[in-house]
Amino acid sequence: MQIIISNSSKEPIYEQITNQIKSSILAGELQEGSAIPSMRNLAKDLQISVITTKRAYEELEKAGFIYSIVGKGSFVAEQNLEVIREKKLKVIEEQLSAVITNSREIGLSLDELKQLLKILYEE
Amino acid sequence: MGNVVELKNVTKNFEEFSVKNINLQVKQGFVTGFIGENGAGKSTTIKMMMNLLKPDAGEVKLFGLDYKKHEKTIKERIGFVYDGNIFFEGLNLKDIKRIVAPAYKQWDDTLFYQYVEQFKLPLNKAIKTFSKGMQMKASLAIALSHHAELIIMDEPTAGLDPIFRRELLDLLQELMIEGNRTIFFSTHITTDLDRIADYIAFMQNGELVFNQSIHDLAENYALVKGGMDLLDRDTEKDFVHIHRSSTGFEALTDNIKEVKNTFGNTVIIERPSLEDIMYYLKGGIHHV
Amino acid sequence: MFNLIRRDVILQKRQLLLFIPFILFFIIMDSHPALTFLIASIFIPFNTYAYDEKVETNILLNSLPYTRTEIIASRYLGAIVYMVLAIGVTSLALFAFNKPFTIIDIAIGSSLFLLFAAFTFPLFHIFKPGYISTVVMISFLLLAAIGPAIVLFLAEHLTAITDFINGLSVPVLYIGGTLVIMLLYFISWGTTTVIYQRKAF
Repeated sequence: MQIIISNSSKEPIYEQITNQIKSSILAGELQEGSAIPSMRNLAKDLQISVITTKRAYEELEKAGFIYSIVGKGSFVAEQNLEVIREKKLKVIEEQLSAVITNSREIGLSLDELKQLLKILYEE
Repeated sequence: MGNVVELKNVTKNFEEFSVKNINLQVKQGFVTGFIGENGAGKSTTIKMMMNLLKPDAGEVKLFGLDYKKHEKTIKERIGFVYDGNIFFEGLNLKDIKRIVAPAYKQWDDTLFYQYVEQFKLPLNKAIKTFSKGMQMKASLAIALSHHAELIIMDEPTAGLDPIFRRELLDLLQELMIEGNRTIFFSTHITTDLDRIADYIAFMQNGELVFNQSIHDLAENYALVKGGMDLLDRDTEKDFVHIHRSSTGFEALTDNIKEVKNTFGNTVIIERPSLEDIMYYLKGGIHHV
Repeated sequence: MFNLIRRDVILQKRQLLLFIPFILFFIIMDSHPALTFLIASIFIPFNTYAYDEKVETNILLNSLPYTRTEIIASRYLGAIVYMVLAIGVTSLALFAFNKPFTIIDIAIGSSLFLLFAAFTFPLFHIFKPGYISTVVMISFLLLAAIGPAIVLFLAEHLTAITDFINGLSVPVLYIGGTLVIMLLYFISWGTTTVIYQRKAF
């Protein structure tokens, strides 16, 4: 599992970890049921504090990406509906970003864009 | 998880200095960094944790036990490292081990020699010939060889070169893989803590200003930068301390939400370093 | 606790090499055997205090799983243990040099040592570090200078007193003396423990 932490990033370290693990799972690099490093080992490897990895894992657990078994460690969770939903959302986000970029290029305002979206959505 | 150390309303008075009403909990399984200027009362607090000093008032408990009845049980479970050498200077490490080892029921000779090898420590040279870094390593080797659950260190990195400080942090991180171990360590070099500390306890003028997880700190405190024209009697209330200059102001806030409400996008809000927090809190929390 | 007593030997390995010539010096100088016993007994316990005056030593001992009561007890018990050993070694040395000595010399030597220890041990914890070695040096020099005279004086007058009391009862004298010394030693032990309990390091 590859995680790269930037100390100069504005994004908190725990978020960098959750986001990177999430995308590894969503990209299928981390298979369902496979073990991920214990939070204490990960803290040591990333040279960060335990509480940070703990928080990252807690968030991942809450979001249903991983689950932990006391004494055994943490594993990639079954891809449930929420995960799939999140997957889709990510795709939508990417597509919308492209829409926004295009809109800006032709000087389309947010309100105009909203209107357009509304019309299309209600069709 | 519980608290390994618990100080309740602990007070200790000296002629010219006192430590006042300390309430401090050290969480099990984490690294707590104990920061503050020289003379803020860190060593006094640590000495009370070790029962080298008895508080004038208040309660000191380690592992939920008090020193009156359980002194030996408590100290059996602590590994200690102090600033400076406390071992008999003229003795070599082997003799010091011979004196210290029998004191502990859980002493592990194999582990000790493993550390001696890892730290490349000479066994037959007098401690006084050791460099500061080597003395520190020797103290560590001794402190880590009886499977202590709590490791208390008073300024372990003071006077050490950056490379050795880094090595020490690596080692501490390795120790933390074992989940029930707790490290409490005081330092005035805050950058040591950026990497490994889970909680930060901050002392100033004999008082504990806060003891928070690094996440709470990041959520509670922020460094705010902006133009001088933004400051007036009302907006200044959001800050703990303001540093003004001709190019603008830089201030510490403990109320990020309020700052965002007041200033919106007109200011830059950054995560403060521990050093920033220490610097701006100098003189205690008072809203300017 | 035994470890604390044994610690003295590890600490003083090198000084112990001086121990034998030191005693031989007194023997060859034809000191009174009682004085020789006294000097020999003082050697280890007071050397220990030279180490223990250091704050660092107290921080170390008190950070290890020992109680303060145990630390002081090891001093007082250790003093007796090392006294007995020193008397043994000194007796052998005296024997080897064919110097006559009696059980009374041993009794006087050890009594004086215990009295000296009883009076000085609490002082070690009252004086500030740094002054202690001076205190020891001065007491030691005084003892070496006027010690023989005192011992001789005591020896003579003790026999005089013994003679005097002899008429009454010898066992009572010895038992009384032993009890008084033991009492003083225990009082000193208790006092030092109380002083040490209150110390801050």
